Amino acid sequence: MKDWEYKPAGDAGLRPADQWRSLQREAGLPSAVAHGAWCALTAGYLRAFHRFCVEGREYLPANPPFVVVANHSSHLDAIALAVGLPPRLRDRAFPIAAGDTFFETKATAAFAAIFLNALPMWRKKCGSHAMETLRERLIEGNAIYLLFPEGTRSRDGSMADFRAGIGMLVAGTNVPVVPAYLDGCFAAMPPKARLPKPSPITLKFGAPKAFPDVTNDRAGWRELAEILQKDVHALGSSA
Amino acid sequence: MSAFTNPATAGITVFLAALLAITPVVFAILQRMGRLTPTLRKELYARYFSWLVIVPLMVVPVLLGRFWTIAAFGLLSLFAYREFARVTGFFRNRLLSATVVLGILCMFAAIADHWYGFFAALPSLFISLLVITAVMQDQPKGYLQRVALAIFGFALFGICLGHMAYFANDANGRPILLLILLCVELNDVLAFCCGKFFGRRKLAPATSPGKTWGGALGALVLTTTIFAFIGQFVFAGTLLAAPIHLLTMGALLSFTGQLGDLVISSVKRDLGIKDMGTTIPGHGGILDRFDSLLFVGPALFHYIGYFVGIGLDQPVRLFF
Repeated sequence: MKDWEYKPAGDAGLRPADQWRSLQREAGLPSAVAHGAWCALTAGYLRAFHRFCVEGREYLPANPPFVVVANHSSHLDAIALAVGLPPRLRDRAFPIAAGDTFFETKATAAFAAIFLNALPMWRKKCGSHAMETLRERLIEGNAIYLLFPEGTRSRDGSMADFRAGIGMLVAGTNVPVVPAYLDGCFAAMPPKARLPKPSPITLKFGAPKAFPDVTNDRAGWRELAEILQKDVHALGSSA
Repeated sequence: MSAFTNPATAGITVFLAALLAITPVVFAILQRMGRLTPTLRKELYARYFSWLVIVPLMVVPVLLGRFWTIAAFGLLSLFAYREFARVTGFFRNRLLSATVVLGILCMFAAIADHWYGFFAALPSLFISLLVITAVMQDQPKGYLQRVALAIFGFALFGICLGHMAYFANDANGRPILLLILLCVELNDVLAFCCGKFFGRRKLAPATSPGKTWGGALGALVLTTTIFAFIGQFVFAGTLLAAPIHLLTMGALLSFTGQLGDLVISSVKRDLGIKDMGTTIPGHGGILDRFDSLLFVGPALFHYIGYFVGIGLDQPVRLFF
């Protein structure tokens, strides 16, 4: 446990709608309770409806900070990835979600912030400042990021190339990155489906890697993204 | 029992409604006289629109009865504590913060149950619990700071605001609460206005640079007078209708009201922030608006309780 700090919440001074969209958002008790209840509910749903099982949990670092990167083909991915973490870590886990999908209106922003504990990534207007803020928060804080480096859901179930954004977060740091492969989410709820089907979902974690020696520049980000893409792909091939 | 059994309840309600109705007229007159700059006009209207929401939120629960009054003060306590916890960073200590919230909920459960014994026991029980809970975290570094913040939060928002809510258990609770709420808010306005006219010597320049002795004393005299005038109807037929009691209560209200303001100013200066939050446009946070209520509750509760008692003729232990 960290020493107590005499420091206002990162999102103090913002109006609620801005707090939900803030990359500095820190959950208080009501949000933590809502998020815990949501995780318990979705864990029950995934187990009952999708026979959800998790492999390789032993690869997860004992404490934050760390990043989990996974393939992305369904809205069920973020839920499965969050629930796949041990309960004591779920509270610190922030799915990085598309701002233009989950944070566009006040209602969806409130839902994404309070229940999913998500942080927004604006795909069309994501500046280096936002990435820098996320990187600082990761290094300084207690955060776990759940990230889908493909940038969008696969329309055919196959994995697309990872974008270099993941590199901007962890290149040149000791923050471990855990590869993960979600198997069955596409079959259960592909992008065009309105409701999920009761097919099985498996989440497989792989061995974490840190990238202290990868340079924090465009070439380094690209290199790092390729390494992680191979790791996730390998997990998928062995699934 | 009708909400307006005591004529003072109707009188204060009508007075507040009239005040809200007249305010835009005053603004319009000031505008015509060229006394309002565009910035000041915008700020005044932002504050006025907030009052249009705040006043019904304060008055309607009181008029609706004891349950709604206690619920409204309970919510006020929880939101005030939330603001305090977030600006100090104390909210990050989930265990202690949850214990404070539990303490506040227990205080309001005791009030709703009209169980004074439990209400009186809770401060010592929860202060002990907070001290012990902090030990259980096995983190001696910063122990005193954590415990002090937890007790500070529980004392101000659980115990002090709880005393305000307890008035709802009295048969005369409605007019007493309306009188207190009206005078506390007027006290703020009067301190500001008197400060503008007579304020020269600063009251506490490091804590709150805008406050002056002139403002404080002017508010003390005027608020005491207003309290005593309306109070004679509220406390009619009781020992407290005597002028000495009315003047003492009015002075207590004004004095403790201004102290509440100074205490929250002190917290803000210590943290280096301007406002405690952004909940109320034109005012800041909930605590920026309701800070003056903090110590008025305990002061008047025990004064009234000592001389005539509170809720003595009402049923007790309603649920537990």
